[in-house]
Amino acid sequence: MKRREEGPDREGSGLLCMGRLVLMRQYLLRRLLQAIPLLILTSILMFLLIHAIPGGPDAIYDNPNLDAAGRAALRASFGLNDPLPIQYFKWASNMLHGNFGNSLYTGQPVSSVLAQRFPATVELFLSAFILSLLLTAILGTLSAAYQGKAVDYTITTLAYFGISMPIFLLGLVMQNVFASSLNWLPPSGTATLGYTFSPFNALLDHLMHLLMPMVVLAVTFTAGWSRYLRTSMIDVIRQDYMRTGRAKGVPPARLLLRHALRNAVIPLITIVAIDFGAIAGGAAITESVFAWPGMGQLFIDSLNRRDYPVLLTALLLSAIFVIIFNLLADVLYSVMDPRIRYS
Amino acid sequence: MDASKQAHSSQEDFEIPAELTPALQARRRSQKRIIFDRFMRNKVATAGALFLLFLILCCLFGPLIPGHTTPDAVGVTAPFAGSSLADPFGTDNLGRDTLARAMVGGRISLLVALSSMLISIVLGIIIGAFAGYYGGWLDNILMRLTDTILTIPLYLLLFVLSATFANGTPISVIFLIAIFGWTKAARLVRGEFLALKEREFVQAAATIGARDLRMMFYHILPNAAGPIIVNATLLIGSNIILESVLSFFGFGVSIPVASWGSMINQGRDYFDAAPRLLLIPGILIFLTVLSCNLVGDGLRDALDPQMTER
Repeated sequence: MKRREEGPDREGSGLLCMGRLVLMRQYLLRRLLQAIPLLILTSILMFLLIHAIPGGPDAIYDNPNLDAAGRAALRASFGLNDPLPIQYFKWASNMLHGNFGNSLYTGQPVSSVLAQRFPATVELFLSAFILSLLLTAILGTLSAAYQGKAVDYTITTLAYFGISMPIFLLGLVMQNVFASSLNWLPPSGTATLGYTFSPFNALLDHLMHLLMPMVVLAVTFTAGWSRYLRTSMIDVIRQDYMRTGRAKGVPPARLLLRHALRNAVIPLITIVAIDFGAIAGGAAITESVFAWPGMGQLFIDSLNRRDYPVLLTALLLSAIFVIIFNLLADVLYSVMDPRIRYS
Repeated sequence: MDASKQAHSSQEDFEIPAELTPALQARRRSQKRIIFDRFMRNKVATAGALFLLFLILCCLFGPLIPGHTTPDAVGVTAPFAGSSLADPFGTDNLGRDTLARAMVGGRISLLVALSSMLISIVLGIIIGAFAGYYGGWLDNILMRLTDTILTIPLYLLLFVLSATFANGTPISVIFLIAIFGWTKAARLVRGEFLALKEREFVQAAATIGARDLRMMFYHILPNAAGPIIVNATLLIGSNIILESVLSFFGFGVSIPVASWGSMINQGRDYFDAAPRLLLIPGILIFLTVLSCNLVGDGLRDALDPQMTER
């Protein structure tokens, strides 16, 4: 993607808008096609890495009462006797047919194991993501608007705090302070067990459980992003059209939020897109600290159980999601800045 | 650091103009001195640098202090002994000396963070330099590789890799972290090279027949030293976090060797009895990472050529 110099079609008559749409569609199609070899490569790499973990599933589920023949049967039932390339092709062709295999640990189909866990992760990921963006917009705008004043210093200090705090540490400390010591919030899980609530109270109970993991996951990214937004906002505020706006008497708040923020957000989109992988990783850690029954926790458990099919599917799914989110970021980038050209 | 020295000394070789009065000559400072002065004017960054220095000294020489030499010895005193004059941090659930463990754990954490930073910066410089200097298909391949690594959830990948390759020794953890730390440095160096290779001094060097490697690492690289040093400082902080995450989940340096991450993991179960078992290593990690970030940002301001010299 390249930034185009001011061209004649910048304002875009109807015809040229059509041209942009076609270009965008071609660009998206090409990016999707590029993603396919990338995914194949990732899956091969992951497959090899996971099978290279010392102590395969047969060793993990080994039972002292099992004789050699029984162990061989166990291996055979896991499909571990074929050479690795054959195993990969079997797995990949099953995958393409929509068959993700069965979990070695529980015997359930991987699709149903993941289907149980997936919504929880999406909920945590999206809520933290949205919270993070909101806070970033507020904090970044405030500290740019009050550059060099007390508000700016306070926000900068908070940002340094957030950037320097490892997610798991913040999670543990908050868990111990707000749940164990103060008893304000539930320590872990998604719902209080052993009670039946009315639907409204059940929702409230669930949100109380969501609050801490969501905030913990959002803090690190908010801190980093608000610094970026502050810098780009300060750049925008110094530009001529802002002075014009002020001279015309646009109210300061409206000027900042409607005119400046929209342009200041553009460079941030790239940073946010780069961080998607990190948020997914951070979600895994947050889930593990707060016993949030999502994919991240499933991943760590499955890694310890050498549950190959679950691990592979979870990794591939996360890679697909990161790629999709990156594509969305690209599209958003062009919506926000019509000067972007697809090439 | 060598690279930056070269860049500065080459600029100092200019002859001092004759009209420079002795009074002005006396006030003349070397570029290193200017940068140092500018950095020292930033109080917060200086405090961060001093804290890091203090921490490194503590971790290096602290475990030699009599009475704190046995970090792994169980039952030195009663478990959960509170802080006393002899034992300011008390003991943990097994009666191990927490101060000694914090210092030895700091050694591991700092060792892992610094060495993996060095490896990934060298990797990043080489990859970024070749991509930026040659461009074309090489650039394409190297940058796609960088993008790919940036899109995979790093923690998940590290967990798999450490389960596969790491055997719990610090060296294996160093390499594990280094393999994925080079991406940002590579992008940065590539960007600098793309901009710098169009400059006149590069053309001048080309005219006198400088070979590619000499051009890349002798002429261009020193001019990109500033951003690289800043990136390296910030990388130390993020490596300390990575190491602690790995150790916390049991994928890092194997117990009973102390590292700040594994100390947190052991302390979390005893928060009610002795919150300091979690808080001491936690605060150490936090302060170290904070100092690295502050020093990094201070260096960025001090090294920025756009800043007017006062």
